[in-house]
Amino acid sequence: MESSVLSLVIFLPFLLSFPLFSFNRAQHGTARWYALLSSLLVFAGALYLALQFNPSSGFQFEHTALQNWLGDSMDVKYSVALDGTSMLLFAFAAFMFPVVVLGSWERVTTNAREYYFFLLMLETCILGIFSAVDLFLYYMFWEAMLIPMYFLIGVWGGNGRGDAATKFFIYMLTASLVMLIGILSLGYISREMGGTFTTDYHKLLQLELPLSVQNILFWLFGLSFFVKAPLFPLHTWAADVYSESPTGAVLTGVLLKMATYALIRFNVMLFPTASANFAPLVCTLAVVAIIYGALVAMSQPNAKRLLAFSSVSHLGFIVLGIFSFTQEALQGAMILMVNSGLTTGLLLMLVGWLEERRGDVRLSEFGGLKKNMPMFSAAFLIATFASIGLPGLSGFIGEFLTLSGAFKSTTLQTGLYAMLAALGVILSAAYMLPMVQKIFTGELTSERNAALSDLTPREILVAALLVAMIIWIGVAPNSFLKLSETSSQAVIEFVTQKSASQALAK
Amino acid sequence: MIESYLPIFAQIVVAIVLGVLLSTLGVLIGPKRKTAQKLTTYESGIEPVGAAKERVSVKYYLVAMLFIVFDIEVVFMYPWAVSFREYGIAGLLSMVTFALLLLAGYFYIIKKGALEWD
Amino acid sequence: MPNDYLLSLPILAAAGWSVLLIILEAMLSRAALTRVFAMLGFALVGGLSVIGFPLQGLAFSEMLRIGGFQHFANIIFCLSGLLVVALSEKYLDDENVHYGEYYIVAFISVVGMMLLAAAANMAILFIGLEMMSIALYVLAGLMRRDVRSNEAAMKYFLLGAFASGLLLYGISLIYGATGELALHKIAIAIQTGSASMLFWIGFGLLITGFLFKISAVPFHQWTPDVYDGSPTPAAAFMSTGAKAAAFSALIVVVTNFSTLLQNSPTWSLVISSIALATMVVGNIAALAQENLKRMLAYSSVAHAGYMLVGIAAATPDGYSGIMFYTLVYTLMNIGAFGVVALLESKENLLLASDYAGLFKHRPMLAGAMAVFMLSLAGVPPLGGFIGKYKVFAAAVDAKLTWLALAGVLASAVSAYYYLRVVYFMFMRDPVGEAISAPATSSLAFALIAVAVVLLGVFPTEILRITDAALKFAQLPTQTGF
Repeated sequence: MESSVLSLVIFLPFLLSFPLFSFNRAQHGTARWYALLSSLLVFAGALYLALQFNPSSGFQFEHTALQNWLGDSMDVKYSVALDGTSMLLFAFAAFMFPVVVLGSWERVTTNAREYYFFLLMLETCILGIFSAVDLFLYYMFWEAMLIPMYFLIGVWGGNGRGDAATKFFIYMLTASLVMLIGILSLGYISREMGGTFTTDYHKLLQLELPLSVQNILFWLFGLSFFVKAPLFPLHTWAADVYSESPTGAVLTGVLLKMATYALIRFNVMLFPTASANFAPLVCTLAVVAIIYGALVAMSQPNAKRLLAFSSVSHLGFIVLGIFSFTQEALQGAMILMVNSGLTTGLLLMLVGWLEERRGDVRLSEFGGLKKNMPMFSAAFLIATFASIGLPGLSGFIGEFLTLSGAFKSTTLQTGLYAMLAALGVILSAAYMLPMVQKIFTGELTSERNAALSDLTPREILVAALLVAMIIWIGVAPNSFLKLSETSSQAVIEFVTQKSASQALAK
Repeated sequence: MIESYLPIFAQIVVAIVLGVLLSTLGVLIGPKRKTAQKLTTYESGIEPVGAAKERVSVKYYLVAMLFIVFDIEVVFMYPWAVSFREYGIAGLLSMVTFALLLLAGYFYIIKKGALEWD
Repeated sequence: MPNDYLLSLPILAAAGWSVLLIILEAMLSRAALTRVFAMLGFALVGGLSVIGFPLQGLAFSEMLRIGGFQHFANIIFCLSGLLVVALSEKYLDDENVHYGEYYIVAFISVVGMMLLAAAANMAILFIGLEMMSIALYVLAGLMRRDVRSNEAAMKYFLLGAFASGLLLYGISLIYGATGELALHKIAIAIQTGSASMLFWIGFGLLITGFLFKISAVPFHQWTPDVYDGSPTPAAAFMSTGAKAAAFSALIVVVTNFSTLLQNSPTWSLVISSIALATMVVGNIAALAQENLKRMLAYSSVAHAGYMLVGIAAATPDGYSGIMFYTLVYTLMNIGAFGVVALLESKENLLLASDYAGLFKHRPMLAGAMAVFMLSLAGVPPLGGFIGKYKVFAAAVDAKLTWLALAGVLASAVSAYYYLRVVYFMFMRDPVGEAISAPATSSLAFALIAVAVVLLGVFPTEILRITDAALKFAQLPTQTGF
């Protein structure tokens, strides 16, 4: 039975979501308590897996079912497993969901049953994405995730929610469908190279794909991930979606990590030579994203949009870390993924609470909030510092490792990328600090601001949880880094060896 | 391939030539005496009075359609009757089934009142 | 030979049952009763097809070809008929056209579909096609006091007759070229001799006739007008059962000539182009539709395009994908049309914006409709996705990656107009008074929606069946039975 534990954890939220409909439609109180307990239960499951996890070996908790899922001519099956790369993110995603439930505690009062139903469904999809080791299964989760996201944004979002939801859906669907063609092509290529049509990740890793094929497939897959990441210039959906999402914007923090995770898992591992070849191009885009995101963030009058662009900038760092192909940078990217989920998530949640109280998030509306909202200000400040990359908080470790790794990278050959990216760190201070300044310092100019109340105990609990994580990662990063250490090492070795052998063959 | 169609072409040609020839001859050498009776549309038929687009009761159509159905039945019966012996009992059963199917339709028509004139 | 009767038992039972329905209606004249018996009949015939699934062979002097493929198709037709009949009553009542004949004609149409799928001889093929089509013309014009219904019936009849004419002409040319009417004998004649120009012209006309029936571009213009004017349940029937039947026959025809067609680059190019045009035109036109029935009509054109991708791929995987697709499409499209019919009949709600706030009043109905829409858009884990996956996979396999790519992009476009309905249902507040609908029908739609989801998550067994069924569709060219 040990083998199916992972599947159980993945589908637990989905299974637990059905009893929601037996609750009274009008009472949202029961629904949210139920959702909180469910997500905590799932987190406990994920934690159990993380403790059982052996960082020094490869894929664990493997569980396969539904052999020949799509008929006998295709080797497609349900197959899940976790390795170092996914374990960290898997546990992190499971951690974020109780936080999200608590974050939207007061906000969602209408149709709460449905809200939590979609939330739990989304959790299953996300956990599935992080653990699928069959490309078809992965695709199923990846696309199925759109359905709950669409409804979460569209029904419980802000004023422009319907359009934001549609935009999000169409962007993601288009990009993923292109990936579907990539998956199909890869499957048939594996058949041509002797074997059957397969989407089994382990079997596909064994393929020695010719470079020309790798180049095409790299972009068929990459497009989908780059859109979701979002990497410049495919980021145009992000600001709308961030500003219209319900407090589930925190979710967006988790969601975007799926894209960068998928970049490592699929693009880099399946097409190593192409990845190494395209690394300068992708890193250029990443650096552009870092600087462009920061510059645009500076000029945003709206706090949510500012955070959206800051997130574009952060994603640039992560992509740079991945495509530097050094273990240091990759580990940095892993930590950055968690960090950006934590800090941007916390900031968006705080801004969301502000919006609930005040009905507005334009920076010009605020000033002097530190006087009447001390707890709020403190939490906001810590998150801001973590986001900028102050040593001792989570952002610093990730950015430091990424930059130093990128600087030494042999694939990129030049330290220029790292130097330009470092500029982004400075710029991030240049847009984050003025925001803090505008909102919190100065005099309480408006009466409406003076009437705002500080965080409730529930909100303090949520913020404290996230702040604790931020400090924990900042002070003792090794307890997290060790999870992904071996597999990062393996990724880098795999890529170096593959691309070297292919270069020799030429 | 084409040659096998030659007789048909020949017949067409003959038909056209004969038709054109006879009517032309009639016009050219026939005597022409016009009277009022002779110039009516139907020389010995109904008086053509009123608009051509007259409403006809739908019952006529119904009867016409039903007639065609049973007409066709009879058409099918002829070849069967001619080779009755060769088909044997199986042929008889087939024909009875066919007739019964039509009978079911007939039953439906009567029950629905399609044959009631008023 | 009793074997003949055993083999074609579902068809004979269906034909017999339709006579029974006629007598029943004649004696009692009670539409509600006829309806129940029609549903029983569909269940019976479908059940016979399930039981008889392993039987295969040629029946009645090689006129009928029965095998897993035909049985599977029969099940789809019966499912389509059953669902349409089940969902029709309220609509017909509201429109004051609740005649028992409606159910009889629908039943006869299904008999035609079964003959069409089982045709081993082009004479039967034509008879089946006409039996199905003429019944559908009647259904289209059922609301005889309604101008639009009359228009729909007239258009459908004229264009349908035109298509039948082309098809018949094609059959006669093929007969002229090969001297055979039985499909497998034609295939032999072509293999031993060679395909003459005359044959190709005939074959082209035959295929054109089918393309009319499945409303492929450029023969699709009748679709929106006919679907719009017909009674909505009848439109659902045309878009599912009739389309499935035309595709079944098309598959039978092209598998028969597979060796010929696989060596013909022109054929592959022509069918690929038509599939491409159908997907693009259907989806783009659907984007501009405000009226839901017209939107669904264009969407059905687009779906014909996706299915044609499977024909273009010309592999067993492609055909089996189409079969799966028709099954899912039957469920989800009847579901979508059914919801439209349910709401339309009471309040005359036909625009997507009329559905604003449906979620607030009728959450279950709105949820089911959302499932249908998302499945039509091809979002996993719903059934529509697996159907698309199979046909596109076949296209990639057949080195038609460009076609598959165009197909997925077209279906990304389609997401926009399907989502519009969901958007109004869930993300807008209701205007005016609450939309009313009986709770039982909500439950029925919820069940169909569950079936659509299950087909998406656990398609394995159905796909095994379609894969296996397809082996029976290709008869050995020598006289094997």
